[in-house]
Amino acid sequence: MEKENGQKVGAVLVVGGGIAGVQASLDLAESGYYVYLVEKSAGIGGTMAQLDKTFPTNDCSMCILSPKLVECGRHLNIEVMTCAELAEMQGSAGDFRVKVRKRARYVDSDKCTGCGECAEVCPVEMPNLFEEGLGTRKAIFRAFAQTYPSCFAIEKKQRPACEAACPAGVNPQGYVALIGEKKYAEALALIRENNPFPAVCGRVCHHPCEADCRRNEVDDPVAIAALKRFVADWERDHADECEPPSPFEITRPEKVAIVGSGPSGLTAAYHLGKLGYEATVFEALPVAGGMLRVGIPEYRLPRDVLDAEIDWLERLGIQIRLNTPIGDGFSLEDLKSSGFSAVYVAVGAHTGLKLGVAGEDLPGVLDGVAFLREVNLGRKVRLGRKVAVIGGGNVAIDSARTARRLGSDVTILYRRSRAEMPAREEEIVAAEHEGIAIEYLTAPTGFKAKRSKVAGVECTRMKLGKPDASGRRRPVPVEGSEFVFDTDTVIAAIGQSPETSFLGNGESIGVTRRGTIEVDAETGMAGRGGVFAGGDAVSGPATVVEAIAAGKRAAHSIDRYLRGESCGVATAATVADPLEERHIPYTTERKPRQSMPELLAEPRVKSFDEVELGFDEQAALAEADRCLSCGVCSECKQCETACKAEAIVHSMHDETVELNVGAIVLAPGFDEFVPNEKYEYGYGRFPNVVTSIQFERILSASGPYSGHVVKPSDGQAPDKIAFIQCVGSRDTNCGNSYCSSVCCTYAIKEAIIAKEHLSTVKPTIFFMERRTYGKDFDKYAERAQSEYGVEFISSGVSDVAEDPDTHDLSVRYTGEDGSPKSMRFDMVVLSVGLQAPQSAEQLANDLGIRLNKDRFALTRPFSPLETSRDAVYVCGAFSGPKDIPQTVADASGAAGGASALLASARHSLTRVKEYPPETDVSADEPRVGVFVCHCGINIGGVVNVPEVKEFASTLDGVVFADENLYTCSQDTQERMKELIREHNLNRIVVASCSPRTHEPLFRETVREAGLNPYLFEMTNIRDQCSWVHREEPEKATEKAKALVRMAVAKARLLEPLYPRSLELTHEALVIGGGLSGMVAALALADQGFPVRLIEKERELGGNTRRLHYSLNGGDPQRFLNSLLDKVLTNDLITIQTETTLVDFSGFVGNFEAGLMTAGKTYVETIKVGAVIVAVGAQEYRPDEYLYGADPRVVTALELEEKLTNNDGGLNGSKNVVMIQCVGSREPDYMYCSRNCCAQAVKNALKLKEANSEINVYVLYRDMRTYGFLEEYYRKARDKGVIFIKYDSDEKPSVETVTNNGSRQLRVTVDDRILGAKLLIDADVVALSTGVRPAVGNREIAQLLKVPLNEEGFFLEAHMKLRPVDFATEGVFVCGLAHAPKSLEESIAQAKAAAGRAATILAKDTVLGEGIVSNIDADSCSTCRMCVGVCPYGAISYDYNKKIVEVNDALCKGCGTCVAACPTGAMTARHFTDAQIYAQIEAALK
Amino acid sequence: MKEAAVSEDEVRILASELDPHFKYEVAEEPGGENIKVCFSCGVCTAGCPVSEIDPGYNPRKIVRMVLLGMREQVLASDFIWLCTLCYTCYARCPQNVRFTDVMGALRNMAVREGHVHPSFLKAVDGIAEFTQRLRHDMLVKALAKRKKKTEFRISDYKKVVNESLAGRA
Repeated sequence: MEKENGQKVGAVLVVGGGIAGVQASLDLAESGYYVYLVEKSAGIGGTMAQLDKTFPTNDCSMCILSPKLVECGRHLNIEVMTCAELAEMQGSAGDFRVKVRKRARYVDSDKCTGCGECAEVCPVEMPNLFEEGLGTRKAIFRAFAQTYPSCFAIEKKQRPACEAACPAGVNPQGYVALIGEKKYAEALALIRENNPFPAVCGRVCHHPCEADCRRNEVDDPVAIAALKRFVADWERDHADECEPPSPFEITRPEKVAIVGSGPSGLTAAYHLGKLGYEATVFEALPVAGGMLRVGIPEYRLPRDVLDAEIDWLERLGIQIRLNTPIGDGFSLEDLKSSGFSAVYVAVGAHTGLKLGVAGEDLPGVLDGVAFLREVNLGRKVRLGRKVAVIGGGNVAIDSARTARRLGSDVTILYRRSRAEMPAREEEIVAAEHEGIAIEYLTAPTGFKAKRSKVAGVECTRMKLGKPDASGRRRPVPVEGSEFVFDTDTVIAAIGQSPETSFLGNGESIGVTRRGTIEVDAETGMAGRGGVFAGGDAVSGPATVVEAIAAGKRAAHSIDRYLRGESCGVATAATVADPLEERHIPYTTERKPRQSMPELLAEPRVKSFDEVELGFDEQAALAEADRCLSCGVCSECKQCETACKAEAIVHSMHDETVELNVGAIVLAPGFDEFVPNEKYEYGYGRFPNVVTSIQFERILSASGPYSGHVVKPSDGQAPDKIAFIQCVGSRDTNCGNSYCSSVCCTYAIKEAIIAKEHLSTVKPTIFFMERRTYGKDFDKYAERAQSEYGVEFISSGVSDVAEDPDTHDLSVRYTGEDGSPKSMRFDMVVLSVGLQAPQSAEQLANDLGIRLNKDRFALTRPFSPLETSRDAVYVCGAFSGPKDIPQTVADASGAAGGASALLASARHSLTRVKEYPPETDVSADEPRVGVFVCHCGINIGGVVNVPEVKEFASTLDGVVFADENLYTCSQDTQERMKELIREHNLNRIVVASCSPRTHEPLFRETVREAGLNPYLFEMTNIRDQCSWVHREEPEKATEKAKALVRMAVAKARLLEPLYPRSLELTHEALVIGGGLSGMVAALALADQGFPVRLIEKERELGGNTRRLHYSLNGGDPQRFLNSLLDKVLTNDLITIQTETTLVDFSGFVGNFEAGLMTAGKTYVETIKVGAVIVAVGAQEYRPDEYLYGADPRVVTALELEEKLTNNDGGLNGSKNVVMIQCVGSREPDYMYCSRNCCAQAVKNALKLKEANSEINVYVLYRDMRTYGFLEEYYRKARDKGVIFIKYDSDEKPSVETVTNNGSRQLRVTVDDRILGAKLLIDADVVALSTGVRPAVGNREIAQLLKVPLNEEGFFLEAHMKLRPVDFATEGVFVCGLAHAPKSLEESIAQAKAAAGRAATILAKDTVLGEGIVSNIDADSCSTCRMCVGVCPYGAISYDYNKKIVEVNDALCKGCGTCVAACPTGAMTARHFTDAQIYAQIEAALK
Repeated sequence: MKEAAVSEDEVRILASELDPHFKYEVAEEPGGENIKVCFSCGVCTAGCPVSEIDPGYNPRKIVRMVLLGMREQVLASDFIWLCTLCYTCYARCPQNVRFTDVMGALRNMAVREGHVHPSFLKAVDGIAEFTQRLRHDMLVKALAKRKKKTEFRISDYKKVVNESLAGRA
């Protein structure tokens, strides 16, 4: 991007994809800025998506959020970056360079259609974090269906320990998971990707995977090897069900020779075959298998098992030439000259090592490997009655157990102790069971002969000395311990070396000192080019899996060699970043490892029958279930197979992208408090104790229990539910001393919704202070009590105990009478607080912003949306706990701030969509094209899509029908456009999923193809057919046909529609010159828009004039004066005082306002594009508590004035009493005035500051010092202010009494805690009076055609998501006109209103809705029914022309007027009678 | 204020007759520092094993009495001696009032102002004497073992202990 120095960048980075981030992004994009929305998780939606309903309107949270997500995701000027985090920032305000780290999601979002087939097949189940752990999800997942992008993501951790431990790189987690899903064939295929010997390794592998298995930390490792054996055996038992192996496809011209048919050689041949090479194996012996065949006894590895495995390899195309030794007759050179381009030497180590002691050559002294070979080849071996085996390795044990089976009495002599024995533990145990004696710490020093035959072993006892090179303690002889062990036969099994004589002289291949073949460590090449070696022949005797690993490495080395590449060792597969160490949850249930059934020891020593019998299916499934899924994704690749869109990319990497932005908006949200540390409440210990957010999921219809209110312990409906408030809030013990602001109301909401779901349930809320301070929240709480029977108990809860049998819970609290009480409940919901997000410090570091002591973003007084760094804005819960409306207002305000800062760069980076010219099809016959979607198998798995397509092509008007795997995928969209042109289609029908999510996409495609976008009709055969009639595919198909028939019938009658586009006035009117009005006016002027600011009083400033100090240290008067200064000197702001609105007409972008100024005789009419209502409110003038009758009774604001001016005799006062809720929360004014508690605390602190000895009593109903105000409430108590709670039905009284001749003010209050009346003689009584709506509200509301609420405050369009908008587009509200609120909240809201207004003023034109009502003047009787019912004021009656008119710019196409019209003159475009009748007729066919 | 009176319907407390400074005094006393921050949630009382048995013992109410300045009624009461020091309230109090320590502070103040029941003093003396004897015996035994290595004369120690015991009696 080219830009000059100092020029601002017209793009903004928004951090966090919750509702705040989404709203800020939308506002910014609509105001002419390009937006990067960075979200940490895999999709946007945030916490709001988890909520069931929202207070106080009980709207479905997802229903109101989802359209915003769609809008945000589809916006041309918003780039949503998911799995992404801010990594670095440089530059300065207006021109930042930021780095964003994008974690790999392993799914290509361009290809993924969100069909969900992958998750169906994924075998790995994880706790579902979206469901707060109440359900499970798969390793490939999408947090929730409505998120954007709809693309799935795979959660991967570092590769699991088992896989890392396997020399052959087999993926145990993957196949164990598949076994758990009974996908045995798939499990086997996964093993065979690396290892062609599952049956062999399942039996004889030394399984290093199990040694490293993290299940060791819980109980015992997963029996990985036994599971491998299970699937291999399963294949053998179900051969007829299994696909036969399909032979390798030979694609390479080179041939490879392999010398030796042991595990290494055969594995090399196998991998070479997979790579497309023809491999031939040369074997000296008459049998194939190498050590597997001649080294391992049959009772461990039955011949038929090995045969089957080798047979399988041969069927793949590997040729094995038996009895073909390489050596003198036929050398390696000969091999190469006979057409083999490379040779792999894997001859194993078949020569036993010598003991190097006298008498070794005596008859009766045998070599272990030779002995086993002879026996395994079926040759007769003569053994004596008493056999001594020397050695402690697997060959020694094999020899001993074989000798035992040949009828001998066997003793093993081993020079170290059992701990050092290299043989497998299972083998040692089996040998012991079979009656084989083991003499430890016994070393042979020679042999005793008798009749020139061995008769005994001369031994020395050993003891363990210092560790040797192998790390094992070296045995040293014990002096004088020599003895003779009498025996007939000795089998020496102390190691083997390879037979290398065949290498000959001419081969120039080196041999090491140990007798093994010398190879290049990197390449595995031996000597000259083309000859490779591996396995035991190179490593010396090792294990089967190591031989297999060597074979695999060799194959890849040879491949690279033959392709002329550097043949370095293949690097390990790419691993995901080592993310955080995953702790095994302490709740992980202990499950014993399945034991391997075996033949009994006694009969088994009489035969060579296999000892280990293998798992049955039940045991295998139980064992597979023990896997902890350490890597999360097991890389079993099932998703790859299932994904028809080929979107899965397991090899994806993290990446870092650099962005250039002018400003940053932070909206990372909050973390919920995890109540583990509130141990006394039993969370995590008792199943029926849940957090409030878990309870939201329980209530949600899309949640884990489908919206049924049930107990997690048994799925039964609860009878009594307790809500415990302030869990992790107002609690200095857990570090969160602030109030979380939202819990009181959300708990009430949850209680109400629970009651709505389950009418029998009895909710009880335990609270300390009921802080329902928001707009209409108190009414909500009253309704909860009176209509829903929710019980409120004012007490903290000490603890929750559980009856372990029934899981019933008992809650201990303090009763009304002050004594401890206990109440039984079925469920307990912990209302958990909000805390700063975990990422807070990281963000603060990266961005150089400051946090407050609770780790939330620090903001200054009167700047609630600005962080400590220029051009970095904050909104939502990151600057303090707050509810959704405030969050949304913050977001619009923060967006407005960024927008003003970057105003000079507006529209510099935004994109405008270019379309081809629209084809006029009005004169053409309908040519309908129908596209029926399979949606993978989402629809196609139930509905017979080809049949529906065939059916569609037979319908009238249809000239083309097609079926698509995914109609919404990018390539299908392109194809659709081509087909539209090719077949000259002029009406399009798509039969697929929900129009809510996909109709805009298809309309766009249709428009891109040159058609009017309204010539499109969509029908939902997924939700309405394949989902709801899953069990009845035929009927589902019939229904799909009927739906298509209806859609086509309507499509034939579709007409092009053209939304009206109008010019607009880029100027705003702000009504009210108080703080909110001035802030809004200034914010708009800063964005470059002219503003007319009118104020009915003579002076600007409003209520703020009366505020002189604040809790957070800000000086309201200084702020007000600087604001006045800015407003008065701003050229774009025209101020008119003593002016009121008297006339108003027009519509968004084009309003006309009539203004009347005092002293003027005419009405001035101005044109404005948007209006902001900031008329403020007024203080309630009380007539109770002797106010007006006694000058010592004042209001809180009057007290503030007195304290500021230091008059009013407060200097000599000893006792000051404050009474809260005067005129608030009363029957006719059932709302909280929100400011008074903080006001009282503020005044009390001021009093204490001036005179610490003064007694201040605050008589309150609930101290509503929400959010960070709580800190000041605590401070006031600490300073000695006394807070006494009173009940609304037992209000305090104020009277004058004569005392010592003076008239004393006496306040009497009922102290519930003491159970006594407290009589206070007060010098001053301050009444915390409520906020009342401004007097002129009704008139203004009528002029603007906007509603007021019951009490007379302005009523916004939507309490949650449109907090500053009205339903009338282009008119906004902020400040006290909307509801009582604090200075900072008013400022944020004023900025929000300005930000929202700017989204309109920044546009060149206003685009109306295409689907609007149309009136036929000829049939209109001018009854004007429509005028009254129109909710948008779009219909008016023109008295001059005497006709009714619809204003297209205002009409939203809701159709209410059509229903109301008695003559049928009104038509809803796109839903005309003709179109709807055609659909109905088609439905009835 | 007498306990019996509180439970009656119409108890009237005249703030002007109370001692508003009392709360600051308690806050000055070691253990009483946090008393003023109590916000009366009642968690202490709900979990108190003593309150469960004897409703006359009510931690929340005791705090309120202190805050209002009911000096005599608190310090001269029996109830401040009932706390078993189980620390349940201490652990669970969301405002970290440390009520168990507050009780210690109140007891210390009560002792200083002569509000202790004689039986309690007698019990304390008994315990003190017993432990002193125990210490004495143990020390004598221990010192006797390492007699050679020490300069300390057991008789000196005996003298000190005996004087101390005599002084208390």
